[in-house]
Amino acid sequence: MSSEQSEQIPSAKRPNWKLSSSRISQLIFLAVFLVLFVMTDYRGQDEITVAANAFFRANPLVLVTYVLSTMGFTWLLLPGVLMFIFSGILGRFFCGWICPLGTILDLVTGWIRKTRPLAWLAGNLKYYLLITLLFAALFGVNIAGIFDPIALLIRFMTFLLYPLFGFAVRQGWVGLYTVLGDNRDFLAGTYGFLKTYLLPFRETFYPLAFFSLVLFGIIIFLERFERRNWCKNLCPLGTLLGLVGRGSIFRRLPTRLCSDCGDCKEHCPTAFDGEIFQKSNCITCLNCQAKCRFKRVSFKLGFAKKPPPAFSPARRVILTSVASGFIVSKAFAFRLDSADRRVLRPPGAKDDQEFLKKCVRCGECMKVCPRNALYPTALQTGLYGLFAPILIPRLGYCEYNCNLCGQVCPTGAIPKLPLQEKMAAVIGTAVLDKNHCLPYGRKLNCIVCEEHCPIPEKAIRFELSEEVDYAGKKVTLKKPYVVDKLCNGCGICEFVCPIEEKAAIEVFPRKPRKR
Amino acid sequence: MRRRDFLRLCGSSILAGKLLVRDLWAKEPSVVALSEGTDYMQITRSVIEALGGMKRFVKSGDVVVVKPNIGWDRRPEYGANTHPLVVKAIVEEALKAGAKRVKVFDNPCNEPRRCYENSGIPAALKGVENVEVKQMEDERYRKVKLNGVALKEWELYSEATSANVFINVPIAKHHSLTRLSLASKNVMGIMGGNRGYIHRDIEEALADVNVAVKSNLTIVDATRILMNHGPSGGSLKDVKILNRVMASTDMVAVDAYATTLFGIAPKDISITVTAAKRGLGEMDLNKIKIVKA
Repeated sequence: MSSEQSEQIPSAKRPNWKLSSSRISQLIFLAVFLVLFVMTDYRGQDEITVAANAFFRANPLVLVTYVLSTMGFTWLLLPGVLMFIFSGILGRFFCGWICPLGTILDLVTGWIRKTRPLAWLAGNLKYYLLITLLFAALFGVNIAGIFDPIALLIRFMTFLLYPLFGFAVRQGWVGLYTVLGDNRDFLAGTYGFLKTYLLPFRETFYPLAFFSLVLFGIIIFLERFERRNWCKNLCPLGTLLGLVGRGSIFRRLPTRLCSDCGDCKEHCPTAFDGEIFQKSNCITCLNCQAKCRFKRVSFKLGFAKKPPPAFSPARRVILTSVASGFIVSKAFAFRLDSADRRVLRPPGAKDDQEFLKKCVRCGECMKVCPRNALYPTALQTGLYGLFAPILIPRLGYCEYNCNLCGQVCPTGAIPKLPLQEKMAAVIGTAVLDKNHCLPYGRKLNCIVCEEHCPIPEKAIRFELSEEVDYAGKKVTLKKPYVVDKLCNGCGICEFVCPIEEKAAIEVFPRKPRKR
Repeated sequence: MRRRDFLRLCGSSILAGKLLVRDLWAKEPSVVALSEGTDYMQITRSVIEALGGMKRFVKSGDVVVVKPNIGWDRRPEYGANTHPLVVKAIVEEALKAGAKRVKVFDNPCNEPRRCYENSGIPAALKGVENVEVKQMEDERYRKVKLNGVALKEWELYSEATSANVFINVPIAKHHSLTRLSLASKNVMGIMGGNRGYIHRDIEEALADVNVAVKSNLTIVDATRILMNHGPSGGSLKDVKILNRVMASTDMVAVDAYATTLFGIAPKDISITVTAAKRGLGEMDLNKIKIVKA
C-alpha cells in the first residue's frame, strides 16, 4: 500500500522548507539554545544570568531522577515541574516544539537515505531503558544524564564541536600571521569581535570527546532506518514525556490511518505504529493536520470517552526494570582506590556520592570554567561517574574569584555559593613532594607556589633556611610548607609549579577514611 | 624633506641619543622624577614632564608599548596591578607626542580575561583611539637569543621587542622571592614559556631579559603599594596608600629609589644589585638626582 502511495505523494524524504508553527518554534528554540550555549562562558561578567542550563532545569527526566535518587527537591528544578505538568496536559510537545536535538534530527534527516526500520528497536526497549534508569536512580545511582538528549548534545558540543570550531578559526588567524605578519592587524577588529562574542577563549580538547562524538553520531546514524528513530524508540526523556502525556487532554482524531489515504504515516515523524496512532509517541508537531488533503485530522481538547488504553509497558517491563535497575545500581560500583585518589570535585561539592546523585553530566560546568580546570571522568570513579566533572590542577586550577560553575549547574550538584563561601569551599589540600621541590631536593630557590597562592594570608608559606650548596656557597633557601587550615585546594600551586617532570606540589581530596 | 629639517632631525636625534642611551657614558647623573598627589593622572603627567616630556621619548609615527602589571585577578585598590589612571595618563601623553599606535598588554598569572577586566585598565582606555588593549597571542612569541648569564634563549613577545618605544610601568609591591617586585621584575610580562623556571636564578635571568629589551622610560606606580603577601596580595590590610609616582630613564635608579618606600635599602634587593652590576643602571642613591615635580 505504502509503495503506491509514495509514488503519488511528494516524498517526505526531501526536506520540506514550508514552515509550520512547530518548525518555527523549533528553530527559535534551537537558536536560543545555541546562543545560551555560547553565553555559558566568562565574558567579563562575574554573574551569568542566563545559560544553557535552562534546558536542564526545565527537563522532567532530570527532575524525576533527581527526586528519586536524592529523595529531595530543589527549587532550581521548578521549571521541570512546570514542564512535567504541561506535558501532562499537552503531551510530548517538548519533542516537537523545543528539543534542540530533535530539531537537529529534523534538519538533517532529509539528507539521510532511509532503509527499513529496525524491528528490534521498536517495542518496549525504550521502556526498559527508561525504567531501569529510574529505578537505578531510586537505588541511589543516577546515570540518566548519560542518555539525556540535551546533555548528550551539549557534551558533544562542549567536548568537541566548540573547541574544534575555535581551533579552526584560530588556526586560520595564526595562518594569516605567518603569511602577513603584523599586517594582519587590519583584521584585528573583526577577529576581536568574534573572540569576544563567539569563540572559546582557548580551545581545550576534552577526554571522551571522541566518545561523545560516537554517541551523537549513533543518534544521527539511526536516522538511516527511520525518521526520529532515537526520539521514537530510545530517548528516555521522550519516553518519560510520552508516559506523562498519555492522559493529555489533546486528542488527535482519527486515531488510526484512514483506509483511503494513509498519508499520515508519511507526514508523521513518530507516532504511527503500523496503522495505529500511538499517543505516547506523538510529538504534536501538527504536521498531519496541516498536510491532510481531506481536512480530516483534528487535535481536540477534551478527555477520551473511554479511559486510555492499558499501560503498554506491561507488568513484565516494570518488574524486569526494577530488577535490572537494582542490579545496575551495584553492578558497576567498584572504584579503584589508585584512580580515586586524585578525584577532586568542583568547589562546594562535598560528599562524592551526593554529588553524583545530583550531577546531570551536562558538561555546563566544564563549558563555563574560565581556566578549563574541569574535565569529564572516563572511568576513574567507576562507570557511575562517567562524564561527571573532576578538577585536574595540572591542566587548570580553580580561579579564586570565580564561582561560575555553581551558577550554571542546573541541579545544584555544584552549589551556587556566594563568592566568599566559594573561596573557602575546600576542594582538597595541597601536599608537597619534597623530593621534587627545588629548595628541598636541589637547594634552589623557587617559591612560585607561594607567590600564586590566592589566599590573602597565604596557605603556602615558607621558612628561611641557611644552607651550603654544592659549591660550598652559603645560600638562604625559602622552603615552602602548606597550612592545611587555610588551603582550599584550588590547585593553582600545582598548575604553576615549574618542575618539568611532575608537579612538586599536588592537590589531594580530603576524604574521610572509612577504615 | 627639506635640508634644514633633515639637519634638524639629525641634530635632535644625536642629542636624544646622547640623553637616552648614553646617560652613563656622558657621566650625567641618573634622574628620578618624583611626584605626589591624589590626581593620579596629573602626577603621572608631572613626572613625564620633569624628565623632558613625552616628546623626548616618542617620535611622531612611533609604535609605543606601555607595559603595566596586569598580573592578577585583583581590583586596583588591592595594589597587585598597575593603577589604570597611571596607565591612561601615559597612553594619552604618548599619543599626544605623536605615537601612531599604543599597545598595552601583559602576560597575567591568573585567568587573563579576569585580570584584564578587574585591573580596570581596558575600561579606563575605552574610547581612546589608536590604543590596543589586547590579550597576548601565542603566535607572537619569538625565541630570542639572549646569550645571557642564566638564559641562553627565551620566548619574548614580538610586539614588545619590535616597538619603537618600550615604557615599563610596574607597580611597586612586595614579592616573596625577590622581596620587591619593581621595574626590572615587570618585564617578566613579555616572557612566554615556563616562566616559573627562571625563579631558580631570577636575578641573572631578569638582567638577561632587561639587557635584551631596554625600557626607554620607566614609570613606577606607587600610588598605593603592597607591603606584604605579594605579588598577588588580596587583603587591603597589606596595602599602603602613598599617592606617589616616580619615573626615570634609568630603570635601576628608579627601582632603587622605590625600594626606600618600603624601608629597605637597595643593596638588600638582589635583583637590583645584579641589574646594577650588569650595567643596567645606577643603584647608588647618592649618585642619583631626585627631581620633585
